[in-house]
Amino acid sequence: MRYITIALAKGRLAKQTMGILSQIGITCEEMEDKESRKLIFTNEEMGYRFFLAKANDVPTYVEYGAADIGIVGKDTIVEEGRKLYEVLDLDLGKCRMCVAGPESAREALDAGRMIRVATKYPAIAKEYFNNVRHQTVEIIKLNGSIELAPIVGLSEVIVDIVETGSTLRENGLVVLEEIMPLSARMVVNRVSMKMEQERISKLIGDMREVIEKRG
Amino acid sequence: MKDKLLHTPEGVRDIYGKECRAKLYVESQLLAKMRLYGFESIETPTFEYFDIFSEERGSVSAKDMYKFFDREGNTLVLRPDITPSIARCIAKYYRDCTGPVRLSYHGQTFINSNEYQGKPKEFTQIGAELVNDASVEADAEMIALTVECMLAAGIPEFQIEIGEVGFFKAIVREAGLGEDDVDEMRALINDKNSFGLEDLMRRYDIDEKLSKIIVNLPTLFGPPEKLKDFKALTDNADAIASIERLEKIYSLLKLYGYERYISFDLGMLSKYRYYTGIIFNAYTYGTGDAIISGGRYDNLIGQFGEAAPAIGMAVIVDRMMAAMMRQDIVHDADERIAEFSADEDSYADELKKAIEARKNGTPARVNIRH
Repeated sequence: MRYITIALAKGRLAKQTMGILSQIGITCEEMEDKESRKLIFTNEEMGYRFFLAKANDVPTYVEYGAADIGIVGKDTIVEEGRKLYEVLDLDLGKCRMCVAGPESAREALDAGRMIRVATKYPAIAKEYFNNVRHQTVEIIKLNGSIELAPIVGLSEVIVDIVETGSTLRENGLVVLEEIMPLSARMVVNRVSMKMEQERISKLIGDMREVIEKRG
Repeated sequence: MKDKLLHTPEGVRDIYGKECRAKLYVESQLLAKMRLYGFESIETPTFEYFDIFSEERGSVSAKDMYKFFDREGNTLVLRPDITPSIARCIAKYYRDCTGPVRLSYHGQTFINSNEYQGKPKEFTQIGAELVNDASVEADAEMIALTVECMLAAGIPEFQIEIGEVGFFKAIVREAGLGEDDVDEMRALINDKNSFGLEDLMRRYDIDEKLSKIIVNLPTLFGPPEKLKDFKALTDNADAIASIERLEKIYSLLKLYGYERYISFDLGMLSKYRYYTGIIFNAYTYGTGDAIISGGRYDNLIGQFGEAAPAIGMAVIVDRMMAAMMRQDIVHDADERIAEFSADEDSYADELKKAIEARKNGTPARVNIRH
């Protein structure tokens, strides 16, 4: 039997996903061993392989078929824009993609002025400002601590993920606009979906059942 | 500075040595198959007027084409695919032809996508077009040819998936949705994104049964036995006719003995807008994309002149080679070459031997010894 390879975005999401998988009988003991330095984990009798990757790379692994299936946030899927099947909403890691900034930035934003937007998600920010707001902006790509940008005067607003909003509040920022709701998704390589149709369809069906039961 | 002269631009590359031999070999096998089906070769220009490939005819969006200008200021493009050129030729040279026309082509195509570094921008395509034949038998013939191309390349494990855009079109027509509404829907269905579709459908006030079919389209795929279940979902005559056409194709493919490679997907909606009937893709391990794609395009040729039904398929040869490499499918393209080495005095003798060898069909080289 050919392995079905699953790429998981590192972190809490990977653990929660393994939780769902174990409920449908797919477990991977190797992965629970914290001492292990292995990069790839297998479940021999069921024919599954797992590996952890940086979230941004998960869609890439899946598009190229190095992984058949990926578990990753909607934000990464949209930002990367890869050719994939997006087949299941895991209903985990729910949050929103937002435009945020100090209250004082609202006026410049609403007036459609040329503002600077700092973000980890330049593709999403560009799409939103170009095609939804029809506003010309300067997009500044940052790699972390996006909230810092308006505070130190690098940008007027930011585009970032907001979960509870507490980080924003602590730094005197507010949500100005909501771009889209986000959650974790299961993505499938287009060819794998055809070549391993039976196994992957069953996996999707079983996982959907668990997710729906959980409510 | 000198090193820079050695680089090729991003997205294009040299193919040489063993790889080049293997590629030429596979190409010759594919072309031989097309000849066996009676397809005649045709060559069209590498660049043409932009309008030939514009939005409603094209396979790629305008921004993804290599564009340049001629002296008169006309916009020209390096062809992103060859089917529109063939359609133009049909309207131009085969106007009076009422019977079926079978043409095959072999050439380079170019896509100027800058999305991801390192993705190839030049592809070799070998394809076939069957014109003036709207029959279901023609559909089956093109799919049989697709199977034979995969087999001729030596790929043992593959799947041909067949869809029928008529099903989707019939359902949205019944729901009273316009072309603009459908674009977003088409993208979501193509991504098999059911929950995105559910959200989208909430915006429309359409019949619940129809809405349910649309939301479920991403799941309407599988082996031939499933077609019966799909048919039971609707009483729309056009939608049912689409599925019956697929059933007919399947029974015809049994005559060829190729039914085991076939599965169906009603949610497969090609981004090629010109397709009007069945569409199909051939997949195998080792590549994230279809190696062969094709479909029926009954409205394309009419855009250039007299309308004519047609169906075509194209092999993306480079993608096929990449998949074969990753599956360790090696053709013994390493042919033996007889080597003769001579100095000035012995050259005449050695050359004679080489000429003799070549006459017998053995490749031979004569090199001067220094």
